[in-house]
Amino acid sequence: MNERHIAPAFIVAVLCAFGFMVTYGFDGNTQLQGGLLGGAFGGLGVGMILWAKHLMPNEEVEDHRHEMESSPEEQQEFNELIEGAAGDVTRRKFLSRLGLAAVGSIGLAALFPLKSLGPNPGNSLFRTGWAKGLRLVTQEGKPIKATDLEVGGALTVFPDNGEHRNERDSTIVVKVDASAIKPRRGRESWAPEGNIAYSKVCTHVGCPVGLYRENTQELLCPCHQSTFDVLDGARPIFGPASRSLPQLPLSIDSEGYLIAQSDYKEPVGPGFWSRGRRKMEDD
Amino acid sequence: MGFGRLLPVGVACAAVALALSTGSVDAADGGAGTPAQAGSQGRDASPTDRPGGAVGSGRENYYVPQDATPADLANPVEYGRSLYVQGCSTCHGLNGEGASDADEDFPPLIGVGAAAVDFYVSTGRMPVNKPMQQYPRKTPVYNGEQVKALAAYITTLSDKVGIPAGPDVPRVHPEQGNLAAGNQLYANNCASCHNSQGSGGALGQNYYAPRLDAATDVQIAEAIRIGPGAMPVYGPNTFSEEEVNSIVKYVGSLQDAENPGGLPLGGTGPVPEGFFAWFVGLGALLAVARWIGTRV
Amino acid sequence: MALALRRKKAGGASQPPPFRQASKWIDERLGLSKFAPKQLSKVFPDHWSFMLGEVTLYCFVILLATGVYLTFFFEPSVREVTYNGSYAPLVGTQMSAAYKSAVDLSFDVRAGLVMRQMHHWSALLFVAAMVLHLLRVFFTGAYRKPRELNWVIGVNLLILAVINGFLGYSLLDDLLSGTGVRVGYSILLSIPLIGDLAASLVFGGPFPSPAMIPRFFALHVLLLPAAIIGLLSAHLGMVWFQKHTQFRGPDRTEHNVVGTPLFPTYAVKALGLFVLVVAVVAAMSGLAQINPIWKFGPFAEAKTVAAVTSASQPDWYMGWMDGLLRLIPGWETRVAGFMIPNAFWGGIVLPGITFTVMMLWPWLEPRWTKDRKAHNLLDRPRDAPFRAGFGAGVLMFYFLLLLAGSNDVLATIFSVSPENITYVFRVLIFVGPVVTYLVTKRICEDLQGTNAHPAAPGPNHLVIRRADGGYDIAHGVHHDDPHDLVVDPNNTNAPAPGEPIDKGPTSKRKPKPKPKPKPKKEVQN
Repeated sequence: MNERHIAPAFIVAVLCAFGFMVTYGFDGNTQLQGGLLGGAFGGLGVGMILWAKHLMPNEEVEDHRHEMESSPEEQQEFNELIEGAAGDVTRRKFLSRLGLAAVGSIGLAALFPLKSLGPNPGNSLFRTGWAKGLRLVTQEGKPIKATDLEVGGALTVFPDNGEHRNERDSTIVVKVDASAIKPRRGRESWAPEGNIAYSKVCTHVGCPVGLYRENTQELLCPCHQSTFDVLDGARPIFGPASRSLPQLPLSIDSEGYLIAQSDYKEPVGPGFWSRGRRKMEDD
Repeated sequence: MGFGRLLPVGVACAAVALALSTGSVDAADGGAGTPAQAGSQGRDASPTDRPGGAVGSGRENYYVPQDATPADLANPVEYGRSLYVQGCSTCHGLNGEGASDADEDFPPLIGVGAAAVDFYVSTGRMPVNKPMQQYPRKTPVYNGEQVKALAAYITTLSDKVGIPAGPDVPRVHPEQGNLAAGNQLYANNCASCHNSQGSGGALGQNYYAPRLDAATDVQIAEAIRIGPGAMPVYGPNTFSEEEVNSIVKYVGSLQDAENPGGLPLGGTGPVPEGFFAWFVGLGALLAVARWIGTRV
Repeated sequence: MALALRRKKAGGASQPPPFRQASKWIDERLGLSKFAPKQLSKVFPDHWSFMLGEVTLYCFVILLATGVYLTFFFEPSVREVTYNGSYAPLVGTQMSAAYKSAVDLSFDVRAGLVMRQMHHWSALLFVAAMVLHLLRVFFTGAYRKPRELNWVIGVNLLILAVINGFLGYSLLDDLLSGTGVRVGYSILLSIPLIGDLAASLVFGGPFPSPAMIPRFFALHVLLLPAAIIGLLSAHLGMVWFQKHTQFRGPDRTEHNVVGTPLFPTYAVKALGLFVLVVAVVAAMSGLAQINPIWKFGPFAEAKTVAAVTSASQPDWYMGWMDGLLRLIPGWETRVAGFMIPNAFWGGIVLPGITFTVMMLWPWLEPRWTKDRKAHNLLDRPRDAPFRAGFGAGVLMFYFLLLLAGSNDVLATIFSVSPENITYVFRVLIFVGPVVTYLVTKRICEDLQGTNAHPAAPGPNHLVIRRADGGYDIAHGVHHDDPHDLVVDPNNTNAPAPGEPIDKGPTSKRKPKPKPKPKPKKEVQN
């Protein structure tokens, strides 16, 4: 291996580098750009390695490894240095304790601005934008009539409360055969004409429960495969979700549009520490 | 040189990585012996659209009827009836009433509508030799005229009983659709099953949403309207015709999607990307390190 | 060792050559010539596996360089804008300025996409090389005294790298990464007592807060890289100061270091490796598409607030956490209205245990081995079968979790239901590591004392045929000849007179050419 063998590597590098400049000038595609950059760096690197391996000294050399630990004298000197000055401080108990108090309180004070990073959660985890009488509208803002969906249909809806759509309000309404629903106690009137609505925020870690398996009437979350039985109050039948999807009580207004009877009766989405501690107010 | 041992290992790893990333949205395999079709089979039908790869059987396992004679074309309902009796009645009953045995329910076809017939038969999902949980796309057995005849015949079955005929084959005009609107509709309603890149996905319990690379415009619209299998049903009051046009236009753009960044690696996101980084990237870097460094 | 460079004097005798002029100029100010020779002749062992840390470092340098380029184009804001660039399916769509700037960079800036892809591919390689480097350090016992601190720094670097990677791809505010951020928010929320406040403070309000993206930007570009650079400097400084470890071998002791001097050969090789790492990353960035955000669409924008894509996974280095979230059944603790949500176990507790045990390992291992001496010589994995087995078992655990995190992708590839894959993995993550531990430990014990490569055919045995026709293996005998040698003292295999000779089972392996003739054992008649 001599210079003649290594030279082509550098020549390739030069050619590829100029090639990159040319393709950049003509707005070349990503494949060319990446490939030519790779070729340029590759040629350079191969040339350098070959040079180092074959034209530079490669004998093994030995060096002495110093003991990490210092000699007892050195350690003694160091310890005395630190202990001397530090002991001077600790001896003055009154002053050093006050000094510690000063440092400690400043440290504590410095933590306070962190509170401004975000608001107190307050009610935000317990409420959504749904309220009595609000119409169900699609993402595009179109209200849904009770007869719009076919049996086996599913749509994502939001409350008709302004332009801004909030992820927490997302609800999936599914049309099933009304006689097949097994309503939970107190929910008999919540699914008029087979339109049944659940929160789309998965009770596991909050992904949108967007998959509806129409032939088995199950909602599936794509993130971790939690499966919810639509006919049984969205009870989780597989996967890491442990709570049913909250159900939105629906009714039909005078013009035939689907509306909410109230907000959800329980907090939507993933669990948190104080979830069961607050009573949900009825609207 | 250690290269000798590393090279086959590296090639094997790259092969594994590439095998895992098959199923690219862009690869529309032409089915073996695909007949030149008119109507809803304008595009080469992929042998299958299972996200994971081909399982369907070929056309050769089915009795393929002769092409239509002019007499047949003049009497599509009668022609359709003869095709039906020959190829479908074993499971779906002599008059489309369906059947039931110990293991299976064979659904009745009265009232399913022309769209359903066209969808299932033109994608090759029907006929099948045996019942399955889900029917993959495969090379179609019947050509365009035959599908039309079958659809015409099935429609008369519901007339006889006096029930509605079910959705007709939709008229699709993707050029009238809005691409960005279709993008949003697809993201909101389709991506959770069919994937943002149209490469399909698992639906749990062995159901799957198929890849969309080989679906024609009409087939996409039909699927939206009839909701085959596990797919929800989106009727005309759910999505208007304009919205369907937009969705079809957007899916078309997915099918023609360029991949400016390079190999799409299967279009399933970070999983194949991770495999590629480890096997190809790190594999190459390990080879480089072994070349530079010593072995002792 | 003086480094004498002989040069012809340029021009007249009065003008010293340029290098000497420069060297004098610097020396007058920094005294370089006093300490440079010693540092430049520092000896580095150059086993190939020691380069994994270098590869990690070079990937980080690529990240810094490409990252700086990206910051010139990225707008870390959720200000709502309308797209009007060259990617047709998004024209007219509302999106955040962050997402738009990323799509513009990918389509409308020359070489923008290749830069973005280089940044992302080298991020994946950064963590992958770091993990390989960690494994090398672990399996060779390089974390033992006096290098425990360096190990702790390394584990922290891994944590920072993983977090920074997550923040980085979440900055783009696309549908896929946004789903991941939602999961991250919910995991914070799941912390007992303070979860809701913690999530609100970190995210600046309920999810999805407009403060998310700007905050992630500050963390990803400013705080975490600064922390990584700081820890990295300490990491490298300690290696420099303590000198690198080395494998056992001829002339190598605990008190020396054998290798190549830094200047010139090792430095050129190291630089060459750097250049080749860039070459590989650049080639990958041209060849393979990564994170095609334009296909996912924007996250949480007005018209796609509750959208999600199937096959939602995080980048590979967080795949194991996703696997935990998928595998742990729906256990939730509820007491007196207080709740410990399911996500807490997979999202906080197990990762916490993982990294804590990892960090404490240099102090945990001596409890078993009772070995608290300083070590500068490395073990081969086979020299420490318990450590190797334990490490392999733990590695298998996380690898299985990583696979479990892709259960829906595996389901489509292998045409199996995700439910069945989940059930299988729930068993496998317990069985697999135990089996791996046992098998690895056994292999190490078998290989101890030999130089055989683990993947080479097993040590050959001397096989003795008993009088009753059965076989016994003579233990502890190892030959280099690939054929088994059957010694048949009672000649039970001898053919009867007139019978054709049975040659016995033939080995399919070609014999390697022998370096020197070996005395043949005679078959006794």
